[in-house]
Amino acid sequence: MTAMPRADRRSRAPYLFVAPAVLLFLAFLAIPICYAIYLSVRGLRLTGGGVFGTREEVFVGLDNYVRTLTDPEFFAGFGRLALYGLISVPLTLGLALLFALLLDHAGTRAKRFSRTAIFIPYAVPGVTASLLWGFMYLPSTSPFSYLTQELGLGEIPFLGPGGIYPSLANIAVWGSVGFNMIIIFTSLRGIPAELYHAARIDGASEWQIAWRIKIPLVAPALVLTGLFALIGTLQVYGEPTTLKPMTTEISQSWVPLMNIYRNAFTRDDLPLASAASVLLAAGTLLISVVLLKVTQKRAFGGMQ
Amino acid sequence: MRITRLGGSIAVLGMTAVLAACSSGTPGSTDTPTANTGPVALEFWCWGTSQKAKVEAFNKAHPNVQVNHTDVGGDRDTAAKLLTANRAGNAPDAACLEYETLPSMIVAGALADISAHTGDVKDAFSPEVWDLTSFDGAVYGVPQDVGPMVLVYNKKRFQELKIEPPATWQDFAKVAADVRKKDPEAYLTTFAPAEFGNFAGLAQQAGASWWQVQDQTWTVGIADQTSHEVADYWQGLIDKDLVKAQPLLTPEWNNQLNKGKILAWPSALWAPGVLYGVAEKQAGDWAIAPLPQWKEGDDRVAFQGGSALTVTKTSKNAAAAATFAKWMNTDKAAYDLQIEMGEYPASLAGQQAAGDSPPPKLTANQKDYWDVATKAAQRTIPHISWGPNVSTAKSAYEDAVSAALRDRTPLRDALTKTHNLVVEDMKTTGFKVTGP
Repeated sequence: MTAMPRADRRSRAPYLFVAPAVLLFLAFLAIPICYAIYLSVRGLRLTGGGVFGTREEVFVGLDNYVRTLTDPEFFAGFGRLALYGLISVPLTLGLALLFALLLDHAGTRAKRFSRTAIFIPYAVPGVTASLLWGFMYLPSTSPFSYLTQELGLGEIPFLGPGGIYPSLANIAVWGSVGFNMIIIFTSLRGIPAELYHAARIDGASEWQIAWRIKIPLVAPALVLTGLFALIGTLQVYGEPTTLKPMTTEISQSWVPLMNIYRNAFTRDDLPLASAASVLLAAGTLLISVVLLKVTQKRAFGGMQ
Repeated sequence: MRITRLGGSIAVLGMTAVLAACSSGTPGSTDTPTANTGPVALEFWCWGTSQKAKVEAFNKAHPNVQVNHTDVGGDRDTAAKLLTANRAGNAPDAACLEYETLPSMIVAGALADISAHTGDVKDAFSPEVWDLTSFDGAVYGVPQDVGPMVLVYNKKRFQELKIEPPATWQDFAKVAADVRKKDPEAYLTTFAPAEFGNFAGLAQQAGASWWQVQDQTWTVGIADQTSHEVADYWQGLIDKDLVKAQPLLTPEWNNQLNKGKILAWPSALWAPGVLYGVAEKQAGDWAIAPLPQWKEGDDRVAFQGGSALTVTKTSKNAAAAATFAKWMNTDKAAYDLQIEMGEYPASLAGQQAAGDSPPPKLTANQKDYWDVATKAAQRTIPHISWGPNVSTAKSAYEDAVSAALRDRTPLRDALTKTHNLVVEDMKTTGFKVTGP
């Protein structure tokens, strides 16, 4: 008789433990997602009443999805993202790995200072960073353009047609290398020292140790940072929005999220924006899953 | 491991959706308490430098109504936030909006008809100005400030270069060429891709009418013959490098302005206040002249910008909010504060008072400032109507013109593109639109 309630309590305990997480998930993820999906099949249409009529929310089916999928500008946004990502993702990961390996190298001096110095840009809020770089890009305030002009080479077209992608990618790289470096560095510190000793006994050079031992063993961290960088790229919004007033190169729909923001708040079409958001989210999930699947075996195969 | 990781990516997906779909979190106004507990509390959104002092003066004069003022950003931001707050049911009681934004707000069902309260102030405004906020007998706001268009120019630099403010747009082109010759680093003015209201004003001056409505049937004229000609005019100036195509009021632009490399700005009477904010050092150097005309001898100009104080549909204290809107725009204390900040009041008494006051700081040395201003204000084009989707038009215009300037394609095509998008948007929403 006394054993029953205890067993009962035990079977209830897991649910109690998981409840806070489930509640938060429902409140801040599931319900908003469902609401976004609901909104995406609605539309603001004119009904009678008032001087000019009034726009009211009605069911419009898949109209918003059709409009999004037939909007060339939405896809052009992805094209620009791809170009931007091609510059920023490899650079971010490459530099982060390089710095992490350098910091991990036994002979490196001033490690603590370097680590902090590389990490600090990550602590600068994105908008502040964009404004800061924006001033360094604008012809009449740019110290770089000042130098080239003094040398008679003319100003550097940071915000011109060719310069805008590297200029934007630079802001992202500058801001995120530190964070990614810390992840990779932490992973490097977790590698048992015996492996290095064994390698050295076998006659491996520092370069070979880095290439043959360290990099393969931090591959999971590289995949993780790569995934973050990819998702971060799909969500690029702050930097181009902040630089937009400074250049005609960046339109209001330059990247997909800017397009969504414009439709939602400038053009007052929240349903259309919701449909685009749902598509963007589904696409992000798809890419994430594919990326994980492709890299999983390679990266995690030996670790499990 | 697998499941955990998949869960992680679902969570990431969730964040994407939430980030993309949710509003960026407009802090809503608190619910207005009902009147029986002490003074009526009103929430009020408005931008502009004179608002804080005007609201304080109102609160002092009205112990029974206390207004809490929040600056949520300019017209674009206010309009976007007002729509969101309106749907969320926590809109403020009163808000400032530019005249061109009013129809879209009316169509969104965000504004209250306050014609029952405005009978006593109608005559305080000229009919052209009153027309800006009244539609078929319904009144959706009290006019606050108006922006008759004028040419604002750096008189000191003009004198240095020995040039005179042009009377016609043909002269304007000649002066622009003159400036380039005399100072190769300087431009007479710039052409900004985001200045929808400015271009609309210039086209209206030439005779264009971008929207007309009769019995709920609309005619859109954004790409009409006249507008195309105005676009061609600016195209010519840009192509010959007589005018620089560049966004306005950016750090870059402000820097050029402060260096005396941008000499003039065809804009409106609120411009001296704006320029003073970015080029304080040039106070006294500037002056205003009548806006150049398309035909010699004409003197008609359009309004650019200017705002009205509106009452929202969801306000529980519409009567008090209407009283507030009226006081803010007709009381002497209020318009004196406006004038002090360089705004041009919408009310006749306010305009009279402005004429008797010293000119704004930027143009402090111009003796006939108010003569020029009053003449412009008296000769504004009547019956300008704006469309029900001006915000869409603005954003379409900005993108099309930016692209045209970037890719060096004709500006007139950008107008056509804007026009088509505006008409398509109106049709999607369900408006009856005639013509192309």
